[in-house]
Formats: sequence, C-alpha cells, structure tokens
Amino acid sequence: MSNTGATVDERIKETSKLRKALIRPELGAIVGTVAVFAFFIVFAGDSGMFNPQGVLNWSTVSAQFMIIAVGACMLMIAGEFDLSVGSMIGFAGMSIAIISVTLGWPVWVAILLTFALCIAIGALNGIIVVRTGLPSFIVTLAFLFILRGFTIFFPQLIERRTIIGGISEAAAGDWLAPLFGGKVGGAFFVWLGDLGVIEVFSRGTRAGQPVVDGIPMLIIWALGLVIVAHIILTRTQFGNWIFAAGGDAQAARYVGVPVNRVKIQMFMFTAFCACVFATCQVIEFGSAGADRGLLKEFEAIIAVVIGGALLTGGYGSVVGAALGALIFGVVQQGLFFAGVESSLFRVFLGVILLFAVILNTYIRRIITGER
Amino acid sequence: MKKVMKTLTVAAVAATAMVSANAAMAEGERYILVSHAPDSDSWWNTIKNGLALGGEQMGVSVEYRNPPTGDLADMARIIEQAAASAPDGIITTLADFDVLSGPIRNAVDSGIEVIIINSGTPEQAREVGALMYVGQPEYDAGFAAGQRAAGDGVSSFLCVNHYIAQPASTERCQGFADGLGVELGNQMIDSGQDPSEIQNRVMAYLNANPDTDAVLTLGPTSADPTIMALDQMGLAGDIYFGTFDLGGDIVQAIRDGVIEWGIDQQPFLQAYLPVVVLTNYHRFGVLPGNNINSGPGFVTADALDLVADLAGEYR
Amino acid sequence: MTTEPIIQMRDIAKHFGPVIALNGVSFDIRPGECHCLLGDNGAGKSTFIKTMAGVHKPTSGEILFGGQQMHFDSPRDAMEAGIATVYQDLAMIPLMSVTRNFWMGREPIRKVGPFKFMDFKTANDVTMAEMRKMGINLRSPDQAVGTLSGGERQTVAIARAVHFGAKVLILDEPTSALGVRQTANVLSTIDRVRKTGIGIVFITHNVRHAMAVGDRFTVLNRGKTLGTAARGEITPEALQDLMAGGQEMAALEGSLGGTV
Ligand SMILES: Nc1ncnc2c1ncn2[C@@H]1O[C@H](COP(=O)(O)OP(=O)(O)OP(=O)(O)O)[C@@H](O)[C@H]1O
Ligand SMILES: [Mg+2]
Repeated sequence: MSNTGATVDERIKETSKLRKALIRPELGAIVGTVAVFAFFIVFAGDSGMFNPQGVLNWSTVSAQFMIIAVGACMLMIAGEFDLSVGSMIGFAGMSIAIISVTLGWPVWVAILLTFALCIAIGALNGIIVVRTGLPSFIVTLAFLFILRGFTIFFPQLIERRTIIGGISEAAAGDWLAPLFGGKVGGAFFVWLGDLGVIEVFSRGTRAGQPVVDGIPMLIIWALGLVIVAHIILTRTQFGNWIFAAGGDAQAARYVGVPVNRVKIQMFMFTAFCACVFATCQVIEFGSAGADRGLLKEFEAIIAVVIGGALLTGGYGSVVGAALGALIFGVVQQGLFFAGVESSLFRVFLGVILLFAVILNTYIRRIITGER
Repeated sequence: MKKVMKTLTVAAVAATAMVSANAAMAEGERYILVSHAPDSDSWWNTIKNGLALGGEQMGVSVEYRNPPTGDLADMARIIEQAAASAPDGIITTLADFDVLSGPIRNAVDSGIEVIIINSGTPEQAREVGALMYVGQPEYDAGFAAGQRAAGDGVSSFLCVNHYIAQPASTERCQGFADGLGVELGNQMIDSGQDPSEIQNRVMAYLNANPDTDAVLTLGPTSADPTIMALDQMGLAGDIYFGTFDLGGDIVQAIRDGVIEWGIDQQPFLQAYLPVVVLTNYHRFGVLPGNNINSGPGFVTADALDLVADLAGEYR
Repeated sequence: MTTEPIIQMRDIAKHFGPVIALNGVSFDIRPGECHCLLGDNGAGKSTFIKTMAGVHKPTSGEILFGGQQMHFDSPRDAMEAGIATVYQDLAMIPLMSVTRNFWMGREPIRKVGPFKFMDFKTANDVTMAEMRKMGINLRSPDQAVGTLSGGERQTVAIARAVHFGAKVLILDEPTSALGVRQTANVLSTIDRVRKTGIGIVFITHNVRHAMAVGDRFTVLNRGKTLGTAARGEITPEALQDLMAGGQEMAALEGSLGGTV
C-alpha cells in the first residue's frame, strides 16, 4: 500500500471550457437577462421602454427588487429564509412616519431608530431560529403576521388612519434623508437635456428641465449593496462561513465555524436591506402605508432563485440574485411596454421561475457529481 | 437542457401572439387607466367595461393597469411607466396624494393630459394639474348617507372596512358617523378581504354588540359576506343595512329588503366619461367647464330593474 | 511503549438521561501510534470519542491531556488543544470547493488597508500541496468536494487535520462506506500520518482494517471496556469474538458454516 506519489486519475475526463463555464450559479441569470432584453428590444423597442424615462422606470423597479434580493440571497446561502421581509418594509416605513410625523422628531432620528429597531427584529428572528431549531420558514412566517398587524394597528390607534403622510415636509433640510430619497448627477442630466439628448418637460413649473433629473439613491444603494455583498461572500473569511453555515451547519460547527452567529447576522442583514428599501420608499413618496411591501418577500426569493441560489442553502451568488432582480423588474415593466395584458405577468413569472429552478438543479448535479 | 429551451421558445411564441393581438387594436389616441385596486377587487370590472366601451365608441385604444397587490408605491411606478410610454392621456385614481402626486405631476409636465377619477378630491386633482376630477367625494357621500340613516332613526352602527389601508374607505365611515352625529370610535372594523373572514368578523362584532342599529359596508367585497352573516344570525331585514357601491348580490338584497339602500357612485361613468372627454378634448379642443360628480346616487328597491339587469357589468 | 500518552481517559461514564451510554471506559493514546477502537453497533464508540473531542461532557471520569487534567467546553477547545476529529458523514460540504472546505473555520487572511480578505492564493497553493503529500492530485482547488470520491473526501479531512497541527487524530469509521481500493488509500494515509508522530484513534467494525494499521486494540461492549491488547498479542479471530461478545458469535459461526 505504500503510495508511489500522486498520479493523475485516468478516469477523469478533461472538462471542456463550456462545461466549466456552465458550473456557475449566475449562468442561468445571465442567459435569462440576455433573453429578456432581446425579447423586449424586439417587441417593445420603439414603445418608450428604452428612452431615458423608460430606462429609469425599469431600473428603479429592478433596483428595489435588488435591495431585498441581496439580503434574501445572503440569508438563503446561509441556509435560511425570511418571509417577514414584506411586512418589515411596511413596518419600517410606518415606524419612520410615526416617529417623524406623529412624534415630530427629526427625520434622521426616525431613520436611525428604525434601522436599529428593524435590525433588532432581524436578530430576534435569527435567535429564535437558531435557539429553537425550528425552520426559519415558520418563525419568519409568524413575524410576517406580527409585523403587518402592528403596521396596521399603531397608525390606526394613534392617527386613526392607515396612511401617514407629511414626511416630505418633515424631511426638508434633513441631512440623512437625501441619502435615501435624493438623486445624484442632476447637473449631468440638465446638460444632457440642454444638448437635446433627453427630452425636457414641455410645460408646468418644471418646463425646460430634463424628464430624468438624476439617478435615484435607490439605484445607488442597490448597486452598492450588490458590490459589497458580493465581495464579502466571495472574497472574505466571513463569506466562507456563510457558505459553510448553509452548506452543512453541523460540519461547519465541527471545524469551529460560529454557525449560529453567522445565521443571526444574516437575518440582521436581511432586515437591514428591507429597512433600506422602506426608507428609500418613504422618503421618495413622503408617506407610509399599512399595505406597503405586500408579497415582497416572495418577489425577493424568486429573484434569488432565478439568480441561481439553491433553496436548500450553501450555494448561490449575489451577482446572480441581482440579475434575477433585473429580469424580474424588466419583465414586469416591459410587458406593459410591449402591450401585454398585465395579468399575464404572473404567467411569465411562473414560467421563468420554473425554467430557472430546472436549470439550477441541472447545474447542481454537475457540481456535486450526483446523477 | 434542450427541453427547457423548448419550453422557453413556446412561451416566447405565445407571448408574441398576445403582443400582436393587442397591437392590432392600436389606432387613434391612446389612453391608459391606472387604478389602485388589487387584482382581487371585482368591483373594478365595471370600470374595465366602461373603459372598453368608451374606447370602442370613440375609436381610441385604451389600457387598464393596476398594482396586483394594491400596493400604492407600486402604483406610483405604474404611473411613471405609463408616462414613459408616452400615451395621449392618463386616467388615474388619486388614492394617496403623497405617493401619487409626484408621478402624476411629472406626467402632466411632460405633456400628457391627466384626469383623476374615483379617489382623491377635486382640490387635489387641481393641485396635480389634472384636467378634471370625475368621481364621488367620499366624505360627502358618507355624510349624506349618515344623515339619511339618522332620519330613519339609527344611532349606532358597524362599518365593515375591507380596505383599511385606503384613506377613502375610512373617510366614508367617518362621514357616515358625522352624518349620524356620533363618534366613529370602535364602530369601524378591519375586516380583511377574505369572504369567510369578513362574515365571521361581522358575526363576532354583532354578537358582542347586540344593540347595534345599523351596518354599513363599503362595497361588494364586504357587503356580500355581510349579507350572509346577517342571514345566519337571523338579522337579515331586521337590522338597518346600507352599503356603498353595487354588485349582483347587493341588488338582490335590496330587492329582498335586506339592504335599505346602496350608494351608487356609478363607476361606469368614471371610466367612460374621461375617455369621451379626453378624446373630444384632443380632437376638437372642447372641455366641460367643471368637475363631474358621478355620484352619490341612492339606489333603493323602487328603481331597481335596470340596475339589476346590469349590476356588476355596467352598474 | 516508552513514550508518555498524549491523552488519558480514565473511567469515563456518560449518561443520556436514563440511557447509560458509557459506564467506566479507560483509554489512552500515544504519539505515533494507531489505537483502534472496536465494538458492535451501539457499544458507545461514537459517544466515547465525542467526549474526547469536546462534543459531550463526561458524566464522571477524568481526561488528562499531556498529564494535565482538562475540561473541554466545546469542540473548538479540543481542536485548539490539538484533537482533530473526522466524522464519516459530516466532514465535508459537497457544494463548496476543496480549498474552501480545507480552510473552513481557519481561513488565511490578507489585509488590504483596513479590509481583511481571504487569501485565496495561499489557500489554493497550500491545499494543492497538502493533497499531493497525501497522494491525491486535484484537478483544481476550485473543484467542488461533491465531485470527489468518498475516500478522497476522507483524505481531504485528514490532510486538513494534519495541516492544522493535530496531535491526536480521531477517525470515526472512515472506511465503513468505502470500496476495497478506497479503503486501501485511506489506510495508507493513516499509516503515513502515524509516521509523522501523530496519535490516531481509529474506529471501525472491521477487524481486518484494524489489523492492517493498528498498534493497539481496545474493544468496547455495552458501554464498558472489554480490554486492550497490543499488536501480536491477539489474533483477528479472538478480536472478532470479543467484539460480538464471544459466545454468540461462536454459535453463529457454527450455524453459518464458518463463513463469517
Ligand atoms: N445524544 C444521545 N441521547 C441519548 N442516547 C444516546 C445519545 N447518543 C448515543 N446514545 C445512545 O448511546 C449508546 C451508544 O451509542 P454510540 O453512537 O456511541 O454507539 P456506537 O458504538 O458508535 O455505534 P455504531 O457502531 O452503530 O456507530 C446507544 O445506545 C445510543 O442509543
Ligand atoms: Mg458510531
């Protein structure tokens, strides 16, 4: 049995480049993105979908999905779900509204307190999941109801309404609010407008100004979160722990990975993302409503799955999830531009989801070598 | 892998077919109606039909859009998107001024004519730069109903609110309470949208508060299950029952004497008239000089036959 | 046997509520030896080594590490002290690359300004080198562990333990799911590791596997030690009998015509 040193196993075929390229979680999403854009360029190319306003529209919607998809993606790779994301969005928005409008505190205080509150609730979700060993599906389902209930109850109790407005007035001059509701690159777009590259408003108080007057902070947040999360996941020790926690928690524990801490932190990160979403929305629209964020948790999970993550954890990609969100946003808005009946969006979504899951299963089989 | 590709191709082909079917109707002006109603709200069918009929009669192309879950922030995006597709006009509800005024104003400023329907107030419509407002002022309608009920001897009531997140719904209840001259207090319940939940919540409330004089529902979504609840409790026809909006079951209940009156805001007009107004404005430059109140009209057992015939379709 | 034992376990008892899994087991392990732990299903082998690895706390008895009394509060404590454990099923994460698995929990860090990144270059190079030492040539360090064979996975886990300076390596049934060739590979790896001076605790049901590499043999039965024998002091048949509780095995053997 004395081994004569390493020999190349003659039974392993040289893997082709193509097959190697296939084994990436993002592959499905990349193919999907190309297909979706090709489809809409053909069928909605001249409908306004690709003029500056149209681009801004689907980019903003996609960016919204991206923000919550990044959180859901990291959490799913760590092996857990969070179904309370949608309710958290409604709850966070309402919290900002109540603190700033009803209590009259500065908006930045409202935002910071709300972030603290949401992250604490995320931690609570995580602690309950790791302590009880219950499936996160059930625990966060409970929070879906708890948070939505509070989101309806408190404003009704305090203001006898379920929509609280007046945040725009409260946020005027605030130093933190523009970080969420502001726009960047205004001067650049004015310049483009002057050049005639993009249209300008033809009348009203804003006549002469460009129809697109900047890139919303929402999009900046989305891109920032995607980049940071991607680096953490693929390039750091903590990223390795996230994969390990979701891949096989027990195996990870045996080699000293603090699995519980990692999972709790991912729940907190998901809550953070939901809170970013809510804050951007509240500052942009100036009001919080009890029905904000309905079903957003599923939209986030769908984007993540389209992006190649496995529902069972341990495998996935933030870039894939971001592309999944892009596909989601472009299809949702694009069907309208293409003049398709909006109820058919769900049909499309279902088809894409099925397609993505089948493709992902196929990819996973290649990776694990199982048949 | 191959199979998957095939599936996708089939889907793409199907989509293509639907796209072209829709594009074929596009001639003349193009108007988009954006509502705040979730997919589940069947009351809006009348609006869809009114819109389609208006489009057909005027020879213009019309589209109906709504946020699937009723999320008003999503609705704001739909309005932005509608504006980006450069239609001739947008007909939209103004369910939440804070959320929707920005996108609507942008649409107006980029040269699209806007008419506000259904929700919001004439003042708000003017503020966002809309051509006009077509609808029923909710608080006033509730107030009128409250006065009517007070005249019939009602002094306490239950308001079954199935759309608590919509401020207009609460205004209806508030108006009714003020019309009666009582505090709204805890007389409004959040019933949710599920029929059996609504039914059970109404029964629970009436069991807990047996001396409630009247029930007010805000539309077929809450009225239909409430009718069943009253049937089951043996209160049908006994308790004073008024409702906003009409629908098949509501009309039958008015005929049966279970419901005293239905407040008809005549949604048909809210979709049909804007199409007519916009088309004539675009073609001949003519515009009515004022807002149009599509309601309230009280429908009682007396003049029911035409309503009954067309309930849920055009009434 | 002149060297001092690395670990001495004295009179270890472990109760799970009413279940008495271990009832006074003594065991020691010296540097550079392979000490085989044998016993029937449910004899308490896994429970025993989990006590050694810090997963369970003994109900009574003491653990001496280098002559000192020790209390491990977590697997991490035991690992830090130099006790590495390789579990049959829980060793590796199939979806992750060999490198990521190899370094899991102890990733090398590269600092860029205030940011700490995982040093993939070092990680990949070391992984490839360590695997080569164990006689396995990886296609690429990015290869997912799921594509490795059972024996290769065991080897990655063993290589990992050795690389991180284990003094004692515990292998819980590393060969139970393997074919002939893969078993041979793992046994030769054990042999190689033992020669570097690491003490190995090798759990198995298979007397032949134990005989191939073992220096000493301890048999557990129903939570008790039946005895420890050194290589050459005991025949495979005697060991087999001890494991099955002697009597019954002889009877069974008779009825099966001596095929077992
Ligand atoms: N966590 C636990 N709780 C209760 N009983 C346990 C626990 N772990 C082990 N036992 C019991 O202790 C006894 C010894 O189990 P152990 O897993 O140590 O056996 P083993 O010798 O490793 O067997 P095998 O060869 O099948 O792996 C068994 O009766 C088992 O049911
Ligand atoms: Mg065992």
